[in-house]
Amino acid sequence: MQYINQQSYEYIKNKYHDTGKPFDPYKRFIRHDEIFSPDSGMAPEDIIEGITENDAIYAELSHPVRKARALEYVLKNTRISCDGRDIFPAINMIDRPLSKTIIKKWRDEVFTETIPDVEARRSQLERDGIVAISPDYDHSVPVWDRLFTLGFSGILEESEKARASKSRTEEEDAFFEGIKITYEAVLSFIDRLNAMATAPKMKSALASIRRGAPQSFYEALLLSYLYFMISEHIDNLQVRSLSGFDTSFYKLYKKDIENGVPEEEIRSDLAYYFLQFTAIGNYWNQPVYLGGENEDGKAVINELSYLFLDTYDEMGLYNPKIQIKVSDSTPRGILLKALDMIRRGRNSIVFVSDKTIRRAMERAGVSPEDARLANITGCYEYSSQGSYCSGMNYVNLMKPLEYALHQGHDGVTGVMAGLDCTPPSGYGSFEELYEEYKRQLTRIIDVTVDTVNGFESYLSVINPLSMLSATFPSCLEKAKDAIGGGGCYNGSIMTFGFLGDITDSLMMIKKYVYEKKELTLSDLVSILDKNFEGEELFRRKLLADRGKWGNNKERPDAIAVDLVNFIVKNLCGRANSRDDKWNCGFHVARMSYTQGKLTASSANGRLYGEELSKNISASMGQNREGATAAILSATKIDATDFTCDAALDLGLLPSTVKGEDGLEAMYGLLTSFCRRGGHALHINVFDADTLRDAQAHPEKYQDLQIRVCGWNVLWNNINKEEQDGFIRQAEALV
Amino acid sequence: MTAAIFEIKRFAVHDGDGIRTTVFFKGCPLRCVWCHNPEGLTAIPQTAHYSHKCIGCGECKKEGFTPEDCLGEATVLYGKEMTVEELLPILLEDRDFYETSGGGVTLSGGECLMQADFCAELLKKLKENEIHTAVDTCGFVSKESLDKVIPYTDVFLYDIKAYDEEVHIKCTEVSNRIILENLAYLDSLNKKIEVRIPYVPDYNDDQIEKIAHFLAPLQSITKIRVLPYHNYAGSKYKALDIVNTLPEKLPTDEEIKIAVETIKKLTNFVVLS
Repeated sequence: MQYINQQSYEYIKNKYHDTGKPFDPYKRFIRHDEIFSPDSGMAPEDIIEGITENDAIYAELSHPVRKARALEYVLKNTRISCDGRDIFPAINMIDRPLSKTIIKKWRDEVFTETIPDVEARRSQLERDGIVAISPDYDHSVPVWDRLFTLGFSGILEESEKARASKSRTEEEDAFFEGIKITYEAVLSFIDRLNAMATAPKMKSALASIRRGAPQSFYEALLLSYLYFMISEHIDNLQVRSLSGFDTSFYKLYKKDIENGVPEEEIRSDLAYYFLQFTAIGNYWNQPVYLGGENEDGKAVINELSYLFLDTYDEMGLYNPKIQIKVSDSTPRGILLKALDMIRRGRNSIVFVSDKTIRRAMERAGVSPEDARLANITGCYEYSSQGSYCSGMNYVNLMKPLEYALHQGHDGVTGVMAGLDCTPPSGYGSFEELYEEYKRQLTRIIDVTVDTVNGFESYLSVINPLSMLSATFPSCLEKAKDAIGGGGCYNGSIMTFGFLGDITDSLMMIKKYVYEKKELTLSDLVSILDKNFEGEELFRRKLLADRGKWGNNKERPDAIAVDLVNFIVKNLCGRANSRDDKWNCGFHVARMSYTQGKLTASSANGRLYGEELSKNISASMGQNREGATAAILSATKIDATDFTCDAALDLGLLPSTVKGEDGLEAMYGLLTSFCRRGGHALHINVFDADTLRDAQAHPEKYQDLQIRVCGWNVLWNNINKEEQDGFIRQAEALV
Repeated sequence: MTAAIFEIKRFAVHDGDGIRTTVFFKGCPLRCVWCHNPEGLTAIPQTAHYSHKCIGCGECKKEGFTPEDCLGEATVLYGKEMTVEELLPILLEDRDFYETSGGGVTLSGGECLMQADFCAELLKKLKENEIHTAVDTCGFVSKESLDKVIPYTDVFLYDIKAYDEEVHIKCTEVSNRIILENLAYLDSLNKKIEVRIPYVPDYNDDQIEKIAHFLAPLQSITKIRVLPYHNYAGSKYKALDIVNTLPEKLPTDEEIKIAVETIKKLTNFVVLS
C-alpha cells in the first residue's frame, strides 16, 4: 500500500480487532487486548469493575461529575501502546466501558424506574415494527475549529472562564466541573501517551497538543484522532463527522507546506489517519466532508481537497466515508474526480447539495452564516455547528396501511396496534382509504412525539456530554449540556421510511381496486393476508405495472409528494422536550431490512419480510425509466420544506459510466440533481456480487441497466450466457 | 404523420455528447451481419418473445392479448406508430439533463432517415425547443432525405463500415458509394460529423487504413469512434425468431487499440473507442 509500509499496514489492520478471527462489523465496539502490554495499565475486566467501585465514592455527586470521574478512571488506567509501526497511539478500552457500567445503570434507572410507561411504549413500537426509536447519542459533531484553535487545554480554559463569569447554581457548577475533570483527564492521558511514545514525531506532537492548539497538520490529525477515540469509544458519544476537512485542516496544511514539509509526508500522515478508520471497520463508517462555500461565495475546494481524495483513492479504502457539499461554485474538476472514483468502485462518496441545505435551514430560521457552515452529520443529515439534533426515530410508513386494511390490526401479528377503523368493504373510494391511512399515520406520529419527548429530557441525565459540550459556545453560555438543550439548535428528527413501497402500494390499490375494479379491497386484503399464495400471477401483474414512484409518472409521484407534504405539515414545528422543534427526514439506515422483516406483504407485489425501499428511492427494482426519471421524481419533493435528508440512491453499471461520455453523464446527473433542488445523491456502480444476485433474482432488478455497445439494455433483457459475460467483466474490476 | 418507433431510450450516454434520449426508428436499408438492433431491420411492427423471461402466465393465450398484457414482459412489440406530438413531450422530459451535460436528442434506428419527413418535423420541433439534435445514420439514404434534416441537425453520427465497395456489400448487402458521397456532401456543408466505425474481425478489420485515408481530408469531422463489435444481441435474434447472423469472433483490446492508433496516425482527428 502506497504511503504505508507493509509492516505498519499489517499492524494497523489488526490494531482494533484481530483480523485473523471472524469479525462482525455489526457488533459495536470491540477490543483487541493482545496488542497491549500488561505493564501499560490495568486488565480490561478490572477496569470495568473499577469503574463501578470508583463511582461509589462519588455516589452523592451529580451525573456530569460522576461520568467525568469514570472517564478519568478509564483514561488513567487503560492499557495503551505507542507502537513505532504507527503514528497514532492505541487505546485498549475502546469497547465503551462507561456504557456497560454507569451509563447502563442510569439508563436503567430512567427507563425502568422514572419513565417505565414511556419505555414500555417505545419497546412496543419497536417490536411491532412501527417505529424504531433509540436515545440518540450518535449524531454529535464537536465544534472542530474551536478544538483546532484552542486545543484541549484552551477548551478547558474557556470553560473555566465561563464558569467564573457569574455566580452559578449547583447544577450549573456541576456542568462546568464535569468539563474540567474530563479535559484534565484528557490532558493527563496525553501525558501518559507521551511518556510511552518513543518516536520523536509522535512524542513532540503529543507534547504540543498537551500545551495547546495543534501547530502542524499531523498534530491536528492526532488531536482529531484522540478526540474521536475518547468520545466515540470511551465517552459513549459517536462523532459523526471528522469535520469539513478541507476547511478545518487547511490552515495547518498550508503552514506545513510553507514551512517546507514535503507533500509526500502530509499524504503519508493522512494515509495513516484514514487507515485507522478502515481498521476500526464499523459498519456505519466514519463520516468526513469536503466542499461547501466560503464567506465570499467561492468554493471551499482547495489543494487539500484534491490531496485528500487522491490519497483516499490511491489507498483503495471505503472508510472513512466522504460527503461532498456541492454548490454552484464547486469546481467541475473535483466532482469529476469524485465521480471517476465512484465509477471505479470507490463509491463511499455521497454528494449533498449545499444550496438545498442552506435554503432548508434558512427557511427553518437558521442564520445564513450558520447555514453556510452546517456540518454533514452522519450519512446525509446536516446540522448547524454547535447544535445537537437527535434523530434515531424511524417510522415505518407501511404500517398505517396495514392498520387501515385490518381495522387497526397489524398485518403480520394480528395484534391491535393502530386505531379501530372500518373493514376494507367500508371504504367507498380510494380517497376514503387514503384519509384513513393518514389518520393512522397521524396517530403514529403523535405516539412517537410523546414517546421521544417523554425520554429526551432525560438524555443528559443518562449520558451527560461534557466532552462535547465544552466545544459548544452556547453550552458554556447557557451552562447546559449539549444534549439537554445547550446546543444552539436542539431539534428532534423523525425519519420516515419506505416512501417507494407505500406510494406504490397506494397507487396499485387506487388503480386495480377503485379504477379498474379488478378486485375488491376485501379480496386484495385476503390475498395480502395469504402473502400472495396461489396468486403469483396477480403479484407479477402488480410488479410489472410501470405506474410506480421513481419514474417521473404523474400519478404515483403526486401521492408521494402529497404524503411528504402531509408529514411536514403534521410534524414539523411541534415542540420537542429540549426547547426546540421536531422536523422530519426520509432516510432508512438499515430499517429497509430490519423493519422489512416485520412488514406484511404489500399491494405493490412485495412479499412478507422482503426488503423495503431505501431513502426516497423507488421500491426494489421499480426504477424502470432510468436515472434521469429517478431524479425527476425525487426532486418533486421539496427538500427545503424540512431540515433533514431526502437521499436518492442511483444504481449504475460500470459499463454505463465508462469512458469520457460516461463520466460526463454522471456529472450531468449530479448537476441536474442539485439544480433541481435535490438534497443528497448516492451513485452506486454495481459489482459482480450484485450482478450474480440480479441473475438469481431478476424480479428484484427490473431497473438494472447495462451498456452493451452502442446502447443500454435492461439486465433482464439479455440471456444467462450474456449475463455471465458481464459478471466475468465485473469480477475483473478492482 | 406517424413513424414506427421501436424504442425510446432515456439516459443514453454514448449516442452523441452528454445525456441524451435516443429514438429508435424502425426499418433499415442495410443488412449488416453484425447488426445489434435486428428489431429495427424491417419497417413493419414485430412481436418478439424472450422465452427466458416467460413466467407461464398464459395471458398470451387469451383473446385480445397485446404485448402490454405480458406479465413477465417476455413478449415485446417492436414498432409503435407515433406522432411528433406524442414523441415531443417524452423527449423534452430530460431537458434539464441535456442542459447540464451538453446532451440532447438523438434519432437512430434502424435507419431513421428512411422516415426523413417525420424526422425533419420532429427535429424542427426539437430545435424550436432549443434542444441539441443528433442524427445517427448509416448514410445509405437519398440526398433529398439528408437535405430535409440538415437544417435542424446539430451533429450527424455517421457510420462508415468499409471503404472497399465489395467489402461493404459483403458486410451489409449494399454498396457504400452513396454513403461515401453523402458523407462528402455533409462535409462540404460544414455540418458537424462524428464518424463511427464498427470493428468486426474477419469482416472489416482490413478497412481501417483505407477509411482513415478517405476521412483524412474532410473538414467537418469532430471525432471518430471505433466501436468494438460485441455479440450481445443474440437474444434479440432468438426472440424475433430470425436467423442469427452475428459473427462469433470478437475483437481484442489490442486490435481496437491498434485501429485507434492507425486512424490517429493517418488523420488529425480525435479518435476514441
